[in-house]
Amino acid sequence: MNNIPVKKRLFICLAISLVLIIAGAFLLGFLGFNPDRDTKDRVSLQVTDNGYMAIDPDFRDSLRSFCETKISAGGFSVTDVAYASESSGGSGSLEFVLDGASEEKLASFVGELDAALSSAQYGEGTENAGTYKELSGVSVTYHTSGYVLHTEVIWRAAVAAGVAAVLLLAYVAIRFKVGMGVTSLVAAVHDVLLTLGVIALVRIPVGMSLVCVAVFALLLSVFLNLKVFGKMRKDLLLEDRKELSAEQAVALSVKESRKGIFVADILVASAVVILAIAGLFVGFDMFSFMLGALVAILVANYSALVLSPAIYTLIKEKSDANRAKRAKYNYASEKAKKKNAKSEDKVPAAETGEAQS
Amino acid sequence: MGKKKSAVLIILFTIVLAGVLFLSITPTFPVKSPYSFRSLLSIVDLGKDLDGGYYTVYYPEGVISKAEYETLKAEYDYVLENTEEGQTPSVDNPEENYKPYKGLYLSTDIYSEETGVTAEFKEEFEQAYRVVKARYEARGLTDYAVRLQDDYTIRAEIPRLALSDSDSESLAQDLFTKFAYSGGLVFTDASSATASGTVEMEGTSEYIKGASTVDAGDSGYAVVIKFTKAGRAKFKEITGTLASSSSSDSSSSSGATLNIYMGDELLMGASVSEEMDQGSVYITGNYTRESAETMAVVINSAIAENDIIDLTFQSPEYYSVDPSMGEYAAVTVAAVIGVLVLAMLIFSIVKFKGMGLAHLYGFLTYALAVIACISLISVIQITMGGVLAILLASAIMVSCNYYAFNNIKKEFATGKTLTASVKSGYKKSLAFTIDLHAILLIAGLALYLIATGPVKMMGLVFTLCIALSAFCTLLVTRFCLYIWMAQPRNKIAFVGFKREETEDE
Repeated sequence: MNNIPVKKRLFICLAISLVLIIAGAFLLGFLGFNPDRDTKDRVSLQVTDNGYMAIDPDFRDSLRSFCETKISAGGFSVTDVAYASESSGGSGSLEFVLDGASEEKLASFVGELDAALSSAQYGEGTENAGTYKELSGVSVTYHTSGYVLHTEVIWRAAVAAGVAAVLLLAYVAIRFKVGMGVTSLVAAVHDVLLTLGVIALVRIPVGMSLVCVAVFALLLSVFLNLKVFGKMRKDLLLEDRKELSAEQAVALSVKESRKGIFVADILVASAVVILAIAGLFVGFDMFSFMLGALVAILVANYSALVLSPAIYTLIKEKSDANRAKRAKYNYASEKAKKKNAKSEDKVPAAETGEAQS
Repeated sequence: MGKKKSAVLIILFTIVLAGVLFLSITPTFPVKSPYSFRSLLSIVDLGKDLDGGYYTVYYPEGVISKAEYETLKAEYDYVLENTEEGQTPSVDNPEENYKPYKGLYLSTDIYSEETGVTAEFKEEFEQAYRVVKARYEARGLTDYAVRLQDDYTIRAEIPRLALSDSDSESLAQDLFTKFAYSGGLVFTDASSATASGTVEMEGTSEYIKGASTVDAGDSGYAVVIKFTKAGRAKFKEITGTLASSSSSDSSSSSGATLNIYMGDELLMGASVSEEMDQGSVYITGNYTRESAETMAVVINSAIAENDIIDLTFQSPEYYSVDPSMGEYAAVTVAAVIGVLVLAMLIFSIVKFKGMGLAHLYGFLTYALAVIACISLISVIQITMGGVLAILLASAIMVSCNYYAFNNIKKEFATGKTLTASVKSGYKKSLAFTIDLHAILLIAGLALYLIATGPVKMMGLVFTLCIALSAFCTLLVTRFCLYIWMAQPRNKIAFVGFKREETEDE
């Protein structure tokens, strides 16, 4: 990548990013993000009882497996089962989240399952034998529910991220260089958008926590970009670097800061990858959340090591050229000044010569 | 620093760290019945994704669940069985009064199978749904969900709001109940919401600016209702009327009581003995911070006339739910982070030798301070967003320490003495470390102050962690390196450096 001229490199980077962001935005417009378990519009079948499930976990397990078998036999696919216990009264509820079930079919199936629970026996041969209905008064119903977007959380997070990005620009412009500040701002916005675009594009299931992933992308982008610019700020003051062209000087600093970036990456990415793998066993939502975070890490790396240096090289080339132009101008004026000074020197010399003679 | 002094400091530091480590991560064990030891990590307040929470379903008047319908039906059947022939049963037949609609039963007053749900009910429900949703949004919970269930019920999910089950349940019940309050705010001397009083002031935007919470010291938290200019004058007028009526009629005790109602619910009642010319009124009543915040949100939501709920909701039943990230998500996260920290510390010691040892002390101080903050600061609730913030801040701290160590190594390679190298290495990394922490602190603060919900909490956790990281990187690790380097005879070998010896010619 370093062999490609900087303008071409920047063009390629921006083209790739723009294509991904626009494709993600289109997909988002048409299909939205791929919702996770919590944010999906759901059709569920709920089996509630009078509290026997809370007292006897074996009964609960048996009821769950009986219902699951019947639901599968009824032609429905169960994507998730959640148990909830009523805090005030003690009754329990098993909620079977179904995939692609039509309401009409489900409405008729509710009666079938109810009838099956009234006839199926639990604990045959034991003291507490009886049908599920007799033992716990189970009642079957179905629900459809739609997820409502947390608009307040989203727009306030967006405003906060915007304010943070502007403060970043101001701080980096003051403490580093204006060009670095502008580059950091562009990189931060790019990273957040690209992370969201890629997540939409590869259909990673996401929920409300996606806002946290976007904020994570922003903070990570600031950290990694500052790591590169911190090195650059120090290097650009070195005498031997002053001789180099903007492209060479930036490329050298980026090369030297790679190790530090990779160390930081390994620290964060190792935790994210292990938690993602653990999520496969613990809960799929954790897996998808960590996958989103991993996308943010990859994007922030790409921007810190490829995109930001390319942007900054162009800015630096322009500013160096301007400085050279100013220096050239000053050189001419300095020449004129020197001439004036020389001619002024000659006058007192002539005067002193006259005086001596 | 002398060897003895350094040894004493190392021992003291180690003892303190070991003690705090024990307090922070030891699993819970019984101490003396009925008490048990709970570590700091076990009292960290976790969000709905890591620790589960509660959900409720709000049923508006005229809408009942299938379970309730079946109870009414069983009751009717029982009464019918015991009613003599020719006589009318004492209870209504639910089959006549309710009709099934999806998973619900709707009253025939609002629904018929031919014409569907009445337009009036639809409009009222939409209004109520909008307001209830806004209440949950305004409450600023770290994680919550509001769903429209079966078109005419509202399902709300919230995280646990306290550590103990009983406190958490009572706070959840309080929140679910208060967020279902309907009607507007009224200041009156009437003994009930439906009775008429001698004085009355409506709590609309004309009179009320808003409500907030305030720490009331020993009596917990209070809700402050702030008046507008017109509200202040009106409040002065009604309290003046009440004070004069109570002084003229000493036999009437109710005449001097000013009640604040929200719909049918009494929020507070206070006796008035004199005219009160004040810009705000405090509602106290043993509120905790959470319950006071809930009350303030409900009051704020009823100030705008368009936001008053006309429907009444049934007192909701609430259910506890498992963590959305999985039942063992919190334990898994803690275990993974613990193992990775251990691996990172071992790597640091292997790579940087003595400096790695200083890093171990610095990082442990940081980690324990983070655990102490997230467990002892009551407003902090850790969600997966918070976990990411902690991971990132930890990586920044490690990264800054490694940067300083590499600078020391480079300085030493230029031929400086070890002490001069340490000083110069830290000096070279100071500007970058301060800049990095400062900008991230500013970004974290912006997120905390502007955002809400999970992002606000993530911002708070990140801000705290970055502040601790700056402190531990710039002071603790350096101090530890200083005291550790006083110990060995061969300091250069201790930090893993090599210096080529040049023979004298």
